[in-house]
Amino acid sequence: MSAVPFFYDEQIKRFLIQFIRLFSNFQVQFGTGDEAAFRRVPAKYGDISRQAAHVLTKNSENFLNVFPQISCYISNLRYDRDRVQEPNFISKMSIREREWDDNTQSYLTTQGNAFTIERHMPVPYTMVMKVDILSSNTEQKLQLLEQILCLFNPSLEIQSTDNYIDWTSLSAVLLTDTNWTSRSIPVGTETPIDVATLSFELPIWISLPAKVKKLGVVQKIIGGIYDADGNLNVDSIDEWILLSDRAYITPLNWGVLYNGGELTLLRYESTVAGEGEIINYPLELTGTKENWHAFVNMYGELTNGISQVRLLQSDGETEVIGTVAFHPTDDTLLLFTVDTDTIPVNTLTPITAIINPLTAGPGGVLPASSIGQRYLLTENIGSISNIDFSSIPSGATAWKGTGGEDLIAEVNDIIEYDGTEWIVSFDSSESTTIEYISNLATNVQYKWTGSNWVRSYEGEYINGRWSLVL
Amino acid sequence: MPRLSLWKDGAHSNDYQFFDNRIREMFTTGGTGIAVHKYLGPQDQTQTGDATKPDYLNATEENIQDLLFVENRDRKYDPDIHLMRGIYQVADIDFDLSQFGLFLTNDTLFMVFHLNEMVNMLGRKLMAGDVLELQHLKDYHSLDTSVPYALKRYFVIQDAARASEGFSPTWWPHLWRVKCTPLVDAQEYADLLGTIKAGENTDDTLADMLSQLDNNITINDAIIAQAEAEVPQSGYDTSHLYVVPTRDDEINGADGGPADPENIIGPDGSTLVATETTPSKDIVSYLQGDGIPPNGHPVISGIAFTDNPTVGDYVLRLDYLPNRLFRFDGRRWVKVEHARRDNYTPGSNTSQKASFNNNEGNVSLDNATSVPSKQGLSQGAKNRNKTT
Repeated sequence: MSAVPFFYDEQIKRFLIQFIRLFSNFQVQFGTGDEAAFRRVPAKYGDISRQAAHVLTKNSENFLNVFPQISCYISNLRYDRDRVQEPNFISKMSIREREWDDNTQSYLTTQGNAFTIERHMPVPYTMVMKVDILSSNTEQKLQLLEQILCLFNPSLEIQSTDNYIDWTSLSAVLLTDTNWTSRSIPVGTETPIDVATLSFELPIWISLPAKVKKLGVVQKIIGGIYDADGNLNVDSIDEWILLSDRAYITPLNWGVLYNGGELTLLRYESTVAGEGEIINYPLELTGTKENWHAFVNMYGELTNGISQVRLLQSDGETEVIGTVAFHPTDDTLLLFTVDTDTIPVNTLTPITAIINPLTAGPGGVLPASSIGQRYLLTENIGSISNIDFSSIPSGATAWKGTGGEDLIAEVNDIIEYDGTEWIVSFDSSESTTIEYISNLATNVQYKWTGSNWVRSYEGEYINGRWSLVL
Repeated sequence: MPRLSLWKDGAHSNDYQFFDNRIREMFTTGGTGIAVHKYLGPQDQTQTGDATKPDYLNATEENIQDLLFVENRDRKYDPDIHLMRGIYQVADIDFDLSQFGLFLTNDTLFMVFHLNEMVNMLGRKLMAGDVLELQHLKDYHSLDTSVPYALKRYFVIQDAARASEGFSPTWWPHLWRVKCTPLVDAQEYADLLGTIKAGENTDDTLADMLSQLDNNITINDAIIAQAEAEVPQSGYDTSHLYVVPTRDDEINGADGGPADPENIIGPDGSTLVATETTPSKDIVSYLQGDGIPPNGHPVISGIAFTDNPTVGDYVLRLDYLPNRLFRFDGRRWVKVEHARRDNYTPGSNTSQKASFNNNEGNVSLDNATSVPSKQGLSQGAKNRNKTT
């Protein structure tokens, strides 16, 4: 039988220490006038062990007890159901620390390790504390109480740690009750000590250990968790709805342009000229090119050849993934090496090239016609009213078949040579489904959207549609 | 023949003297040595301005220091020690482990003294407040073997009255019975504990050696030290965290984007080096702000801005309370944060409440006099004709 892995973060103890700290360093006055002196009142934990107590007395009954004293102890630890929150909630935060110099044992001004911290929802408890104030006379008791009671209006803040990631560290000490004296009045024949008791409550949290991970940035945040009335938006729960209604936010609202094996960082207002049309190379951009070094610096360190960029495709599910590296000379570019296993699979036979049939034809600009040649057209060619039924040539000669057949095709069509004539292999006017095809001339893959051809995974990825994994 | 009677109409007869001498001999023969520290009355308290705390002309045991609470807190003890004999029944004691440490709550002694001998020695009867050293209870075997002397044992008288067993057949009392509890290190006995030597050939006082005060203070100091180590200041320690410099200055484009760590334009248009790229903001959280520039960049502290600053320079203005950190953005000094983090330990912080209590300054008035700045609400700007 395996044991529960040990874990102890001294969470309650740290609150106890800080609590005792709150009641330390108070003083009382001995004497009056010029003879006045002040004695610091020791504050310590009230539930000490008997053995240690004897050690303190040097194992002798001749010791002298000290008056006044302040004693602090836990009288109860109560589960606080009123403060229960989503018990399965996990909070994530990303932090970067400064670079640590082992030689000087100090932090540098540059960025060092970056972490993602996962924090499980802590459990709420109320820590009930008692503070017993031992005094040898009434004036002394009043001096102490006056100095202490004025601080709780209604509470004092307390922290168990100053670690930035510890969301359970902050609490408050609330004074809930006071008991003036432990003695009865009249005192009678006994000589009891006088103890005033203050009762406090601390709403604290007890937490599981945090998960510390290397920072990996996924810059997609679901927006609109709550609606305008502050209620939880059901869209954020129903995952199938999210696919269409999800709002994406990327830090700084920046996007990337993937083009020719390079990623350019885009300001949100930057756009691709001619969007939605067949993309020609080189692309034209408006706006300011941004510096990848500066951007990456916000999240950590990029490791050339290992860090990834993930490009979310239009189906909302699949991603094109590639490793990245800084461009050796241009800070505005990242070199992107795509993992070919993640790119879409061709649904159509690759094309030989993309051509304008009005300016290029077989045997001229293009090689002579041969079986299997396939071209994607950027212009219409031929007309049903211009078919060569007579001996007078009418259609484009270069595209005629061996039997003189004219080629009639439209822009976005794919034509193929079957050995005797050029035929339309892909009729763009009839196809409405998504198709993928590669251009053998450039090794660029294109996607048929149902209305036009675009680069299948190259192009602009707006905010929220891409992520950087360091 | 006269009737036989030991009662002589109120006179202390020879019979009384006979009994008294025999009883005295009993104490001399079988009593234990008691060193008495005689209570002399409350310490002088002059010009308290409080009618309930009178300033007595003659310091005697009859004085009451505080007529409201009717208690004598600051007691004066005779520096001379009066040696007497007393008799009591030795009993076993139990240690009561309280929230304040070990107590000897059931270690109450009832001791009897010879009345006339006591009055002859002290000039009065033993009374509540007198302190007794029981010499036969010296502890020669302290756990601390470096202590070169025996630990003395002290009791303080709580009540005193005639002992019922001290009446002779003459009906006159011969014994004085006192109820004693262990002495404690309290305000009432400060005069005694601070002046009596703990033993021979030492300058240690009773307070130094027998009191638990030092132990308790040591324990308290250790707790404070650990508490300050865990939470040196309020808020959160973000000094080790990295803050991404952003473009918030006008020269480099105040669009909030990340600053190019290798190129930033200075006020003269020149390109500055990477180290001059400094964040214009620090991590924000509750009670955050330590006056230390983000990422540990150097800062100049002072009461004025520096001349000829460079973009990204920091200055901590000490003339602001709390101190305020500024960064030069090329055109102006922009506030980064307030240095609000503070020590939680009472007496060590500069919080709002502490600024009222930890206020030792004086206020200079127009008539060239000064008054303490910290005054109780009942005393501040009070009518000078009032004495209290």
